Amino acid sequence: MIYVATFYTHAAALLTYRALTKNGFSAVLQPVPRSLSSSCGTCVRFEAPDPCYALLDRDVEQVAESAESGYRVIRTYD
Amino acid sequence: MDKVKKSFWRDNWLVIVTGLLIGAAAVVLSALGNPKNMGFCIACFERDIAGALQFHTADKLRYFRPEIVGIVLGAMGMALIKKEWRAQGGSSPVTRFLLGMLVMIGALVFLGCPLRMVIRIGGGDLNAVIGLAGFIVGILIGVIPMKLGFSLNRAYKQNALEGLFFPALLTVLFVLSLTTALLKASTAGPGSLHPAWWISLVIALAVGALCQRSRLCMAGGIRDVVLFKDFHLILGFAAILVAVFVGNMITTLVSGNSLVSFFAGFGFEKQPIAHSDFLYNFLGMVVVGWGSVLLGGCPLRQLVLAGEGNSDSAITVFGFIAGAAVSHNFGLASSGDGIGSGPVLWVLLAGFAILLVISIFHTKRRA
Repeated sequence: MIYVATFYTHAAALLTYRALTKNGFSAVLQPVPRSLSSSCGTCVRFEAPDPCYALLDRDVEQVAESAESGYRVIRTYD
Repeated sequence: MDKVKKSFWRDNWLVIVTGLLIGAAAVVLSALGNPKNMGFCIACFERDIAGALQFHTADKLRYFRPEIVGIVLGAMGMALIKKEWRAQGGSSPVTRFLLGMLVMIGALVFLGCPLRMVIRIGGGDLNAVIGLAGFIVGILIGVIPMKLGFSLNRAYKQNALEGLFFPALLTVLFVLSLTTALLKASTAGPGSLHPAWWISLVIALAVGALCQRSRLCMAGGIRDVVLFKDFHLILGFAAILVAVFVGNMITTLVSGNSLVSFFAGFGFEKQPIAHSDFLYNFLGMVVVGWGSVLLGGCPLRQLVLAGEGNSDSAITVFGFIAGAAVSHNFGLASSGDGIGSGPVLWVLLAGFAILLVISIFHTKRRA
């Protein structure tokens, strides 16, 4: 499954990217898709069997999974 | 191949249309009264607002520019309609204020924000190409701490009043500027050059709304190419340039002149509200590029974010206005005659030192 995690800061995205790749997951840093946020920040797109919540930085904003029609948000954080 | 083309337009049409509209708006606003090659300039217009509020002493630079109000309210209206308006802030506000001041000081050494830089290039002002080189170098420097983990820390959800205060303040001041003599307006010089207020306001409302949807950002375009090899935002940048270039050719023809005269105007000397000191054009825009990357967006983007309820961006805009006042009160701002009479080089060097300190101390490794 393809997931996209958005963050409140670029640094949080970078740390999550490092954590995911260190654990053997395929991940890339990219601009946040417009359909997920009006923010122009950085997100991590990764492929994994589950959303890997434990590896996401504490400044994570939302996690979405890739769907046929775009993205489906599966968890949001304050 | 068709699939690739279809995907390209589906993914990028909005930012391209936004860029084309901004470029066209800049040409139209200049034709209707704004200074030449300054149809849209966030830095210049905020400087004029600082003048209208008498924060600085330059008599020829006073006018409460409706374009600034329009961009903020246009972005706010669109964010409300799309349910994306959200009061948030608390991400290193004092640092952002200081960065805003530095970016404005750099912009006024060059004489324009990144948006005006592109508009100047499209009008044949080759000094702005030097500025573009500086802007790119500034972004490349700013990207280094980004890659190492730079962060001004996260913003948090705030009381709605925090997000509403800035658009409300702008609106009240704008109404006061139209209905009373409390705010000042120049009778000569660049501050006296403008279209009817409602024309500027309506055009800027549309620009603000489209910028909210497209997330167009002059610094973000180059940053994303460097960081992600993503060319989405830079297409808007290119679209502005194309629209201004074509728009200027059309206005040249409409005014009865030949295109030869348009192209003959390309050069470094005697460009509208510009100077040809290469070093300072370059250094000024290095500060703007570096500072904009650390802020997470160019001056235009900060206005749009402030309209979306981001109080950090509102504070950054206050920093821009304070920076404009400092620039003019201490002889740091350039003019068509050249660089300012104040300690411009020392202030730029101090600016680089501050940017370096912020870059280093906000870059941290976390487990």
